[in-house]
Amino acid sequence: MATKLKSKKKIDQKRERGGMEPKYYEVFARKNSQSDLSHVGSVEAPNDQLAQVRAWYIYDQHKWKEMCVVPLEAIITVTEEGKSAKIKMG
Amino acid sequence: MAYTPGNPGTKLDENFENDLLAIADTKLVLGNWYAECTMNGRSLPDFAAILGMCTANYGHTRAIYQYLSAHGHDYDYLERGRGPEDICSSNLLDEAPTGWEDFIVSTWLAELSTWMLASGFLKHEDRAVAGITKKIGEETYFHLKYSQGWFQILGEGKKQSQLFQKAFAHRFPLALQWFGPARGKDPVHDAGIRDVPLKKLRDAFIKETAAAEKLLGANLEQEKSVRFAKDWRSDARRFGAMPDGLFEVVRFKDAEIAH
Repeated sequence: MATKLKSKKKIDQKRERGGMEPKYYEVFARKNSQSDLSHVGSVEAPNDQLAQVRAWYIYDQHKWKEMCVVPLEAIITVTEEGKSAKIKMG
Repeated sequence: MAYTPGNPGTKLDENFENDLLAIADTKLVLGNWYAECTMNGRSLPDFAAILGMCTANYGHTRAIYQYLSAHGHDYDYLERGRGPEDICSSNLLDEAPTGWEDFIVSTWLAELSTWMLASGFLKHEDRAVAGITKKIGEETYFHLKYSQGWFQILGEGKKQSQLFQKAFAHRFPLALQWFGPARGKDPVHDAGIRDVPLKKLRDAFIKETAAAEKLLGANLEQEKSVRFAKDWRSDARRFGAMPDGLFEVVRFKDAEIAH
């Protein structure tokens, strides 16, 4: 017979995830001062500080010279005005 | 053999060794805190961040043990041979966290206090010590940023802010105690091994913790008149032995599969 859990872990979506909908940041990095700043992935985080730390630890496949995060909502689309950017990994 | 900078095999100043071991052992326990609490992270990316901070702290511990082993200590003994009474970790981390707010407060205070003491060796004449310290600083930058990110989130909730304040009131004196009495002796600085006086590092720690009020949006009660227990050991920067339950968590297990 399966054990019934007394209580579930409760996550306050608004407080802990930055809203009812997840908030995303795009991550860009360069390996050295000669290389281009390239898109390396995305992270979900409720604020800029946690986005910086999460990006640093998730995308640790290289010893990056430089890394930046950009809130997805800050990206202004040109060809598809009014819609959110669709950034995909190659 | 008398100590000469950058010359492995020479014996280090005993008080300097004690400071290094206090930093390394506190980071050993801190790394284990992260390992134990990983699954309490709030999302998948949080797990990655907590595990990253865990391994970074283990790395700092082992780098210091390696340095000590190059100066006459037995690495295996440092890592695997000591009992709970021999480990010089801060009393700050003796009690397990009671909740997420307590976890954030405790890990932040442990990161900040160990960094403050380590930063006193940034200009150490031995490049190995200065290098380890620089690396600790570079990595702790992200660990402190992680705490700051959570201060903002916790500060948005009234109940969470209160839990944070309560945890801070309990843990802060234990963190401050780690620096020793306010007017205590400072043999490492007196010997010229650390160029920054301990008092200055202690004051900087107090100032940094107070700065968190702004991010949290709430007052933090700093109890600065720390009472030192009778069994306080200045060489270990702690009183009493590590609790048995914590020792069981941090002790090195399964040495045969660690290679």
